[in-house]
Amino acid sequence: MSTRALSARRPGTVDRVGSARLRVLSMLVVALILAGAVWSRLAYWQVAEHGRLTMQAQAQYREFVQLPALRGAIFDRNLTQLVVNTTVYSAFVSPDQIAPEDRDRVASGLASVLGVDRSKVLTTVQSSAKFAYIARRFAKAKADQLRALKLPGVGLQEETQRSYLPGIAPGTTLASNLLGFVDWNGDGKYGLEEHYQKILAGTNGYISSYRDLANREIVLGSHTHQDPVNGSDLVLSLDASVQYAAEQALAEGVKRDRAESGSVLVMDPSTGGIVAWADYPSYNANDFNHTDPALFKDNVLSYVYEPGSVMKVVTLSGAINAGAITPTTVINDPGYVKVGGYWIYDWDRRNHGNIDYTYVLAHSLNVGAMKAMLAEGHASFYNYLQAFGLTQPSGIDVAGENFIAPPSVAKMQDSQFATSSFGQGIDVNMVQMLAAINVVANGGKYAPPHAVERIGTQLNPLLLQPQRQVITPATAAKMTAMMEQVVQKGSGWTSRIRGFELDQAGKTGTSQIPVNGKYTQDVWSSFVGFLPSLHPRFTMIVVIRKPHYPGSDRDWTLNDGYMTAEPIWKQIAQAIVVNWHITPDRR
Amino acid sequence: MQVAGAVAAERLRLNLFGHAYVAVGAIVIVVLFYLAIAAQITQYSYDITRLQDQQRQLVAEQDQLRYQEVTLHAPAQVQQQAAQSGMQRIVPSSYVQGTQVAIDLTAPVGASPTDMTPLWLRAVAIVVNTVVGTRDVQAATKH
Repeated sequence: MSTRALSARRPGTVDRVGSARLRVLSMLVVALILAGAVWSRLAYWQVAEHGRLTMQAQAQYREFVQLPALRGAIFDRNLTQLVVNTTVYSAFVSPDQIAPEDRDRVASGLASVLGVDRSKVLTTVQSSAKFAYIARRFAKAKADQLRALKLPGVGLQEETQRSYLPGIAPGTTLASNLLGFVDWNGDGKYGLEEHYQKILAGTNGYISSYRDLANREIVLGSHTHQDPVNGSDLVLSLDASVQYAAEQALAEGVKRDRAESGSVLVMDPSTGGIVAWADYPSYNANDFNHTDPALFKDNVLSYVYEPGSVMKVVTLSGAINAGAITPTTVINDPGYVKVGGYWIYDWDRRNHGNIDYTYVLAHSLNVGAMKAMLAEGHASFYNYLQAFGLTQPSGIDVAGENFIAPPSVAKMQDSQFATSSFGQGIDVNMVQMLAAINVVANGGKYAPPHAVERIGTQLNPLLLQPQRQVITPATAAKMTAMMEQVVQKGSGWTSRIRGFELDQAGKTGTSQIPVNGKYTQDVWSSFVGFLPSLHPRFTMIVVIRKPHYPGSDRDWTLNDGYMTAEPIWKQIAQAIVVNWHITPDRR
Repeated sequence: MQVAGAVAAERLRLNLFGHAYVAVGAIVIVVLFYLAIAAQITQYSYDITRLQDQQRQLVAEQDQLRYQEVTLHAPAQVQQQAAQSGMQRIVPSSYVQGTQVAIDLTAPVGASPTDMTPLWLRAVAIVVNTVVGTRDVQAATKH
């Protein structure tokens, strides 16, 4: 438009042109705003919400399935399988997929096959729930029956379950306290199942594939796949036959002694491998969800107790090894002595006169043990407690070890040293105590206690380490001879096995149980021993808690180890002798 | 002749629609082929799924059987069966004394034991073997 033309316009024309431009501009702005709103909304859905929407979409046609790793099996030393993985089934219903006219049939079918209450099932089926379990973990036979009924809205879910061997009674499983169990989430609980959880469980895999409209898997569609890594098998040092014999003898013994509980631990002297590990009362690992949780506690490892006179083996071994005494050193034992302001008595409170240390051990005299400790000195005594493994946890490869550390040597009082020398005022667990006594059976070497010999195809690294020399072989031989005298002439007489009378070593232990700082009349009774004494094939400890032996209300010494623990020890030892074809040493 | 040939060539030449028909036809064939393959693959997928389900059931059954087998060898089961058969374990009344034997695997083998056969018996054996012949001799003889 030329300048002349513009100038020729009327005064109001410029305003109209400006107004039109303004309208165009404002429309553009509005359009831009609207477009911006749409674009920003699009950006919001496609950028900000991209991840969530993608997941929602994939959830409709893709499926992520976990491929569970097979849990490793557990075998005993003879490769008897102790645990088997079995498939069990859980039944569930989707009430919204069941037509009203089918509800009655579904409830009746489920009740008849699974043995559940029909009215409860009917209530569940009539509810507005999307999903509800009807029964958990039943056998395949029932699952097959249920499949055959073809009930609408009813599904079966496969699950893996650990099945353990039957024990001595219908309500128990073999070695349940050692093995532990696996809960419904696949996590090992207690015992070996917990300690070796990572090794046994392996690593789960997964597969991500497509599903069609009918929710059927399209296997050959594009998918990502990761194979599971199965768990490793464990081979134990346990002997299932010995374990069974131990559980049987222990159950009979605890019932006979009217005791609160009892435990047995058998060890291979040369390796420290656990041969049997029994608790009574025990539980059914196949039915752990209906078991009183108090029974899960393993008394072998988690129960600390005062070992009593069994400790004299440690005290005298240390004193002999330190050169402070010999088995024939003579002392005077008046039956009592005062230490640190406390009177300490022998169990019979009798004056024994001049006796040697072999007599002290055979007749389990507290005064003699204390004099041996004094002859050796506090520091040396404490060093031997450490060397025998009684001041630190045993470190055994089983979950749930309890341990109470004694005070340091500087903080221990004279009276505490005195009582510790005969096993009171010092707390240990059974594994610690047996490993300590096993030093004598193993020629003076400490064999680290362990339950697993092989992990997969690999030897347990513990077995490749050199064993610690605690006392000399000569000291061990002297102590063995002294422990033989316990069986032949002392408190170990009820453990004698025909044919092995000269070839058994042992020691009883009875200690009063403290409650609120005061000792009660309830006791822990124990017996530890090994045979054949010169070439031991096994070391075994039996502990009975709070026995009430018939007649013990008149004579409480009937609750002693020689009446309660020893007969159990003998019964198990006889079974091992027969099973392992052990013969006495030629003398 | 040249004119007739050109006419024939003109008739044979496809027009634009002809090309389009051919292209669409080819595409349809490819699509049908793809669909057939996809349907077949899907069918195979379902077969595999069914077989996998069957395999799972068989594995479950195998697990059950394995547990039954292991249980049969369990000490509790063995004792129960023994008791049902009227057997019971007795404690031996005596044991054979054992002798500890140390075998030194690094020791030299040593000389062979001396032949203690009397001379006259050896002479008789030579004569008999020569006349009658023994199986060993025959085996070593070339026929």
